[in-house]
Amino acid sequence: MTFQTYDCLQMLPIILLSLSGIALLFLGFQKSRALLLPATLLFLVIAFVANFLDWGKTYMYFRDMLLVNNLAMIFTGVVLLSTFMVVSLSGSLADDEDAQPAEYYAILLFSLVGAIMMIGFENLIMLFVGVEILSVAMYILTGSDKRNLRSNEAALKYFLMGAFATGILLFGIALLYGATGSFVLSGIGNYAHSATNAGGSMLLFYVGMFMLLIGMLFKVSAAPFHFWTPDVYDGAPSLFTAYMSTVVKTAGFAALLRILSVSFSGVYDFWWVAMAVVTVLTLLIGNITAVYQASFKRMMAYSSISHAGYLLIGLVGLSQASKPAIAFYSLAYSLSTIAAFGVLMLVARNRPLNAAVFGDQTTLARTDEHYDAFNGLARKNPLLGFVMAVSMLSLAGIPLTAGFWGKFMVFSAAADRGAVWLLVVAVLMSAVGIYYYFRVVIAMYFREGQTDTIRVAPFYRIVLIAATVLTLALGLLPNLFQGLI
Amino acid sequence: MLSQFGIMFLFILTAFAFIGGILLFGKLLRPDRPTEEKLTTYESGEEPVGNAGVQFNPRFYVVALVFVLFDVELVLLFPWATVFGQPTLIAETGGLWGWFALTEAVVFVVILALGLAYAWAKGYLDWEKPQPQLPTVATKVPTTLYEQVNERYKRPTTP
Repeated sequence: MTFQTYDCLQMLPIILLSLSGIALLFLGFQKSRALLLPATLLFLVIAFVANFLDWGKTYMYFRDMLLVNNLAMIFTGVVLLSTFMVVSLSGSLADDEDAQPAEYYAILLFSLVGAIMMIGFENLIMLFVGVEILSVAMYILTGSDKRNLRSNEAALKYFLMGAFATGILLFGIALLYGATGSFVLSGIGNYAHSATNAGGSMLLFYVGMFMLLIGMLFKVSAAPFHFWTPDVYDGAPSLFTAYMSTVVKTAGFAALLRILSVSFSGVYDFWWVAMAVVTVLTLLIGNITAVYQASFKRMMAYSSISHAGYLLIGLVGLSQASKPAIAFYSLAYSLSTIAAFGVLMLVARNRPLNAAVFGDQTTLARTDEHYDAFNGLARKNPLLGFVMAVSMLSLAGIPLTAGFWGKFMVFSAAADRGAVWLLVVAVLMSAVGIYYYFRVVIAMYFREGQTDTIRVAPFYRIVLIAATVLTLALGLLPNLFQGLI
Repeated sequence: MLSQFGIMFLFILTAFAFIGGILLFGKLLRPDRPTEEKLTTYESGEEPVGNAGVQFNPRFYVVALVFVLFDVELVLLFPWATVFGQPTLIAETGGLWGWFALTEAVVFVVILALGLAYAWAKGYLDWEKPQPQLPTVATKVPTTLYEQVNERYKRPTTP
């Protein structure tokens, strides 16, 4: 490949996000915090537009390091959109004395750079760098509520386990390099094709492959590598939990999809059983444990595990159809998760925790995030009730919402591969899911409770409505999105 | 037939066996008369006091982090310097290579300098000295009186 000096001029989103992150850090020196939020949103919009400049073309950047094609642009778009929505829900940070919004926003933008690398990597080194940029940012944001012991605990747990998983990932990459002599995805793919045809031992390759997959499955919180998820999602500030459960998951699955489809599709027969077992475990553990949660936020953590399971079904049924399916599912899941967390933050902020009520276990948390907090919400706040109800329906996969089509597309991708027994488990577990998602809806509409009218900032309201409208629109007209890919 | 990794594995095995053998050999030969002084941790001649797991002032960590900033800079700039000055590359591109490499290095250093400027502006580089507050007591006794008392009963300085 010839040396191209114009390379770096076209990989715009990464460069723009890095620069705007630095700019935000220095904006933070101003006395007033009013400018930070609009500036961050503006930067995200610019990056979003820049991302789609190359639409319809396929480029390889930085000497075969990063690939940009339509699929990568779609995933990047989903990630940027999710971040935009999460950031626009963060208005209350400006009033919080302990918070440092400039740094938070800058870290969010930096972590997006890592996410985009994970989406478009062509070289395993890029994957590693991307995973690390995203993870380190997440460790910090998890512990950003410095005076909350639970937040500290979550950050430490996440850091220790994440560092361990990164080690396994790196080990896998090293073994793959040892087996194939290449870090490039297509090079590894060629080796897998030719070596399986030639016969002979591929032990090193397989061990490396599984270590890499384990590292990645940890990052997307698939069982049995999910143990960190409930504590971390529960302990982190809700705003960053929303970010973690959408952006990190989307980027992680984009990366898994890329490496499985490019490098490991030649040895599909070897890994699909293992992935199917992981999928079933994830679905069972995620859904059944979610039933027993008393805290809504903790339920959302287990729900994110179970959604990782549904996304894994798309990977087990790896085909051309699973690419748009996973992209669509990520979008549908992100929209409804962010809307749900948006409502949760409003409700919880309105109910500072009465420590005496819940005993010792939750006194460390600042706000009440239990199901009971939602009792009678819809009566005084019909909008919030409706937003929450639609997002719960979408997460449960009820028709006329985006979540239904997401599940449908992922399932049909797997059905083409003939993994019917997997679908039976998945459908059963969706039925379990309906139970715990509807608990919130029942609490909001049918329970008595003293909820006052919650004041919602206009922009916050617009974002919540937009997420709901998008969820419904994609549910009615899924072709809108499918036509893009 | 051994692969390259097999040779590595043999090398590691040999290393462990060699070290283990040497230690065992030494144990067999040497006289064994432990005393308390011999068994304490060697701390450059200092007498160890207390536990090793003491808490350090967080300021040290900040200094260490800023140090890493410049360490990383050096790690890149040394190899950069060797490539930057290569006459063949410069001749091939008609001098363009030099400017290109210089620009890249400047971008890199500027980003690191921004990091330093950020830490500086945030006040992380200020080494805050502890400022002891002398307690003031509302009393009618003038402080000079204490000094006089101290002066009178001063212990004679030994020559």
